[in-house]
Amino acid sequence: MKPLEIIRNCLTLPLLLAMSTVTASAHADVVVIVSAKSPITSITAEQTARIFLGKVSTLPDDGDAVPIDQAEGSAIRDEFYSKVVHKNSSQLSAYWAKVIFTGDGRPPEKLESNVAVRKAVANNPNAIGYIDKNAVNRSVRVILAP
Amino acid sequence: MFTFGGFGSLGVSHSSMHLGDYTLDSTMPKGAGLSEDWSTGNDSRIAGHLVAKFTPKVSAVLQVDSEYHTGNSYQPEVELASVKYAFIPDAYIRVGRIALPTFLDSDNRDVGYTYAWIHPPLELYRQLAIAHSDGVDAMYRVDIGDVGNTIKAIIYGENTIERSTSKSISKDMWGIFDTIEYGPTITHIGYQERLSDSENLQTGVTGAWVRNSDLSVGVQYDPGNWFAMSEWIQRKSTTKLSAMYVSAGYRVKKFTPYLTYSQNSQGSFLPGLPPPSSSSIRLANRAQSTVSLGLRWDFMKNTDFKLQYDQVKLSDNSNGFLANVPANVSLYGAKFHVVSAVVDFVF
Repeated sequence: MKPLEIIRNCLTLPLLLAMSTVTASAHADVVVIVSAKSPITSITAEQTARIFLGKVSTLPDDGDAVPIDQAEGSAIRDEFYSKVVHKNSSQLSAYWAKVIFTGDGRPPEKLESNVAVRKAVANNPNAIGYIDKNAVNRSVRVILAP
Repeated sequence: MFTFGGFGSLGVSHSSMHLGDYTLDSTMPKGAGLSEDWSTGNDSRIAGHLVAKFTPKVSAVLQVDSEYHTGNSYQPEVELASVKYAFIPDAYIRVGRIALPTFLDSDNRDVGYTYAWIHPPLELYRQLAIAHSDGVDAMYRVDIGDVGNTIKAIIYGENTIERSTSKSISKDMWGIFDTIEYGPTITHIGYQERLSDSENLQTGVTGAWVRNSDLSVGVQYDPGNWFAMSEWIQRKSTTKLSAMYVSAGYRVKKFTPYLTYSQNSQGSFLPGLPPPSSSSIRLANRAQSTVSLGLRWDFMKNTDFKLQYDQVKLSDNSNGFLANVPANVSLYGAKFHVVSAVVDFVF
């Protein structure tokens, strides 16, 4: 290996590492979405939290809210609940235990991936979900980027 | 259409006071201290919860709970059994056995997994005379901007509690409860009234119907990494008394250390009534206070482990809530320690 190549490699490696860090943090950018067919253009974090905790049953346009959650233990779910709802996964399961065992409340339906949530939200004007920013396409509208 | 789940706790406690039993509930015949060195009675239970959704508007709930109570047994009992009709998602009426929302955690007090403590502070929660009522209630939830407001009303309720030597009967119960949520702040205000009577099961002697009114207020602030909360109640029947606690905790990853202070006052007899009997005076003089230091550890999904240390101080003319204290013994002003450990789970 020529000295120049060694120097170039030494310079490239930290750059590659830095880029991978940037990609990793970009990967965890969660956005809240509704169907492109929905009239809603924005929502507050507080309103979103109340919908996902089942404390309110309507969207800002007064339509019935159908929140769609992601799989327990997924990074995107932890990101969403920590940024928007200010609860970690244990606090969240304690919260739902209270709702479930004092009545007949149910947590939101869960889907397994960003793509599955995007498809379900795109097809239902009442649905609201959260996905990775990179998974957004024209079928859905971003209404909150927390 | 049917969903089934459940919850449970497995706990032990030990008390340094050997002249009385440290029991959380008046239906428990014995506990740690005098009768047992280590007791599982206060914090062990298992419950199943069945929900049936018949239509989007009509649903039913059945909860059966096995916990330590009268008869020195864990014989299962129906804790909740109601049918609900929801006019809209934010308004319903229910008929059946319903938990009373007197306190912030009174309807989930058996579900240890839902709060940080080993159990809700004793001095306040012993004032929850009735955990559930058989009758009718209604709920209406309305949002004003970002403020959520939930109004619950007990329209009618009755209840019977059987202990080994006595029976308490309540009827003509009604109440109104308002919960206001704004961001991380929850405030809760409740007022309830009922007529109560008690029967001595050995002599068959009953008292007279007494009107009870309870006013309760609670505030909770929980922005995520920590919480602080406080609740207070004033109870009036033939006596007037109050009880309160303040509690705060801090969450560090899977650990939640917390500190609680709770106390209840002595009951003062209201003027214009016949002179109280010696047993009424004893029941009115139960003032005590507790400082609790504890830790919750969320070590596994849907499961926690908790440790708690309580220092209990009895007031100057009170045996507090200790049970089975021998008739000739006065523990006035005594101080003692309780240590408890529990594993809570939900499924």
